[in-house]
Amino acid sequence: MINLIKNEWMKIFKRPGTYVMIAILIIATSIVGAFFKYQEKGPEVADQHWTQTLNQENDALKRQLQQSTSKMEQQFFKKEIAINDYRIKHNFPPQEKYNVWTFVKDASELIVLAGLFTIIIAAGIVASEFNWGTIKLLLIRPINRSKILVSKYITVILFALFLLAVLFVFSSVLGAILFGMPDKAVPYLNYYNGRVTEQNMVIHLLIYYGLSSIDMIMLATMAYMISSVFRNSSLAIGLSIFLLFTGAQFTALISLKYSWAKYILFANTDLMQYFEGTPIVEGMTLPFSILMLLIYFVIFQVLAFVIFKKRDVAA
Amino acid sequence: MESIVVLKNVTKVIKGRTIIDNINFQVNKGEVFGFLGPNGAGKTTTIRMIVGLMGITSGDITIGGSSIKTDFEAAVSHIGAIVENPEMYKFLTGYQNLVHYARMSKGITKEKIAETVELVGLKDRINDKVKTYSLGMRQRLGLAQCLLHDPDVLILDEPTNGLDPAGIREIRDYVRLLAREKNMAVIVSSHLLSEMEMMCDRIGIIQNGQLIDVQQVKEFVSSTDTLFELEVTPGETAIKLMQSSYPDVRTSLSKNGITVQVPKGEIPKLVKMLAAEDLQIYGIKETAKTLEDRFLEVTGKKEEASRD
Repeated sequence: MINLIKNEWMKIFKRPGTYVMIAILIIATSIVGAFFKYQEKGPEVADQHWTQTLNQENDALKRQLQQSTSKMEQQFFKKEIAINDYRIKHNFPPQEKYNVWTFVKDASELIVLAGLFTIIIAAGIVASEFNWGTIKLLLIRPINRSKILVSKYITVILFALFLLAVLFVFSSVLGAILFGMPDKAVPYLNYYNGRVTEQNMVIHLLIYYGLSSIDMIMLATMAYMISSVFRNSSLAIGLSIFLLFTGAQFTALISLKYSWAKYILFANTDLMQYFEGTPIVEGMTLPFSILMLLIYFVIFQVLAFVIFKKRDVAA
Repeated sequence: MESIVVLKNVTKVIKGRTIIDNINFQVNKGEVFGFLGPNGAGKTTTIRMIVGLMGITSGDITIGGSSIKTDFEAAVSHIGAIVENPEMYKFLTGYQNLVHYARMSKGITKEKIAETVELVGLKDRINDKVKTYSLGMRQRLGLAQCLLHDPDVLILDEPTNGLDPAGIREIRDYVRLLAREKNMAVIVSSHLLSEMEMMCDRIGIIQNGQLIDVQQVKEFVSSTDTLFELEVTPGETAIKLMQSSYPDVRTSLSKNGITVQVPKGEIPKLVKMLAAEDLQIYGIKETAKTLEDRFLEVTGKKEEASRD
């Protein structure tokens, strides 16, 4: 199996397109970095009376909370108040200076770019073998088709991780150079189920990365499924990228009117909603979303495997 | 002789159409088996079923005793094959292509790869990208790819397609050598009949998904009487003469004279007779029937039979 993955990895990294992808990712991160650096003002004067400011803010928030009727808004105010209280109590001034970690978090918006590239790879990994005609030589080895397909899927996931690692490491290094390390290690304040907890910033960012990549992993899995079922990489790329950019919006639209929107894949890909906000459809829970994701994942995989195994290779 | 590839009642139905209809044959070790048929007869489909690229609707194929249906990995490990054109990864070098396939079989060493490269004569260009290769070099790389794991069965689908005469000859000699020295069974398919005649020991003729005939090449070609072409002028007179003296013999007018189908012993008598009538004889030539004639004869007969 290791050999099969090595093969797939070689086939990805011996093509110039792959290096173009990595270069684009690095250039995009640099542009984002340059942009923030340009916007950054001179050294900020730390607010001496931050406790007072936060107290005032909390009073305002409390008033808004009483007036608010929507549950979503109430949740948001409660969260802000709780975090502010925690800051005052434990003497954590609100972070104001832009530093490496803030940059890494901002640059994580580029995960969508990594997603795009992973989809392109996933869409081609089976379909290209058919296009090139190499599938005929690939499938007459003493290795059954399922193993070949599994190795291809693992390679897609490894490639996704590779791009995420490139993005994370590069944005950390760039952030450290441009914006410097924070003066002291400030933890991230996490609000979940009415409680505020402290979290190491790097761990928080890693979790943030992980949660943000669910979208891309699911869509890459879909692209790979389409690729293996229809042997057509254009269809796989087109459909998956279209959904990557519009899926969430469509789901949000549908969810305004129909509660079955919660069964749509994209209502469940954003697990962050359970930690830092409110679910898109009322009544959704974290286990529900994980279950839905698993169901979609299994459907994609079963389709890919059953059809690939039975296919008569006539191309 | 020991058969290594066995096809038993193999049938393939695609979308209600029977593509391959109940085919049976065996291929023995050390033998070159030719698979002959017009385009669309089912050669490639049969080959694809043997190597497991296509499923078998009913019947079974065993290779070295293992069924391709139920024991794919064991069965296919005996096989080295080129199905249609040898498609390689063009963005990799020849060597990387071989490493790629070597990783997919067990126990292929670097030395083995180097040895195979030398064998097919690609040593100088093996580190160039495949996209710079000529068709002949790709064909040779394809051959290297299927010889890496020392298979017992070599399957070549249209191996000489698109090669120049030197390349064709090279492949032909090579195939014969492998069968003789390494006791490999070789299955080649082609519609080039002259090629098959020189390369194969036995041939199977397939038409419309049915195996019409399996015969030794020599028997196959010589199973009819020989023809003699007599270069003689004027041809018309000669024909008339033949028809009166040998009314049972098939005689026809050809480009330079006449063609007759008689036993060899009759020739001197025939010549004497023609000479006595003052006809000019320039030459007598024995024309063996080629595989092509036989092929057309066999497939043509079958077609007539099915039309009736």
